[in-house]
Amino acid sequence: MPDLRFLIVDDFSTMRRIVRNLLKEIGHTDADEAEDGVVALHKLRNGRFDFVVSDINMPNMNGFELLTQIKADDKLKHIPVLMVTAEARKEDIIAAAQGGAAGYIVKPFTKATLEEKLANIFKKMGW
Amino acid sequence: MDQHTHEHQTEMFQRLGRITRQLHDALNELGYTPVLKGAVDELPDARSRLQYIARLTGDAAEKVLNRVDEAKAEQDAVRQHSQQLLDTIGAVPGLKWAMPELLEWTQKIQHSTERTDAHLTEIMLAQDFHDLTGQVIKKVVTLAATIEEQLLQLLLESAAHAQSEAASQPAGLAAPALAARREPLSGPVVNPEGRTDVVTDQSQVDDLLASLGF
Repeated sequence: MPDLRFLIVDDFSTMRRIVRNLLKEIGHTDADEAEDGVVALHKLRNGRFDFVVSDINMPNMNGFELLTQIKADDKLKHIPVLMVTAEARKEDIIAAAQGGAAGYIVKPFTKATLEEKLANIFKKMGW
Repeated sequence: MDQHTHEHQTEMFQRLGRITRQLHDALNELGYTPVLKGAVDELPDARSRLQYIARLTGDAAEKVLNRVDEAKAEQDAVRQHSQQLLDTIGAVPGLKWAMPELLEWTQKIQHSTERTDAHLTEIMLAQDFHDLTGQVIKKVVTLAATIEEQLLQLLLESAAHAQSEAASQPAGLAAPALAARREPLSGPVVNPEGRTDVVTDQSQVDDLLASLGF
């Protein structure tokens, strides 16, 4: 598996820290953070990232808008986006999948769930 | 705008003005205006109390995460030292037979550090309550602001000396502010019982996506 660089997008610093620590425990130590979609998009366009873990309900630009922007950008659309969110409406889950999300985790979640979803995505990506 | 539409609108505004006047009179006669004003005055206080809760729980979650980081580092050091000891015991001929309890305790320490580390991970994950409760508090704060704005508007429109034209101006100004606050996302599901439009755990998310071929 290549060394992957993650971008964690969430407006709550506590959640960014939790996801970052979990990724570290799973073996992924290279990660950066963004507090909303606008900051995330700026970082994605000005740096190298292999994977995005994003919340949905955020100010300025929410996770759906960020996903749309990523998938519409030729230079970014190959990056898998895993949604980790408290949004539990079926229509939101379907919208995320149809919008190109690589996976969907509903909060609260466990380390095993994150590990499993990442493994599934890595397998699909051939990593 | 044709003459008929203009007359229709003028009539509608006059009727709205009469209703507002009647509402104002009713509020005054029933003694509700001071009550309404009291409610409007109390809403900012309710909002700040909720924000205080959000801030305090956030600080508490951060403190726990700091302690978890420190404890995990210490646990890792103990685990590494116990591994070194196990390696030493294995490298010295006959030691594990001469002092079997040393080997047993060292192995126990190692297993114990692994279990403690798993507990610490659970404690860390449990701090996501700050995110979930924070989102709910944020929605309630926004709702309180909307209610405050609407009640304030009602008070303005029912003011005794208010002219119908003067009263209509703040209403026009208030609308975009309310629209800007409205959030399409629902946030955490507080009461999922009986609802079919939401999922309640990760397995339901996976089943839903699998049923749709994702």
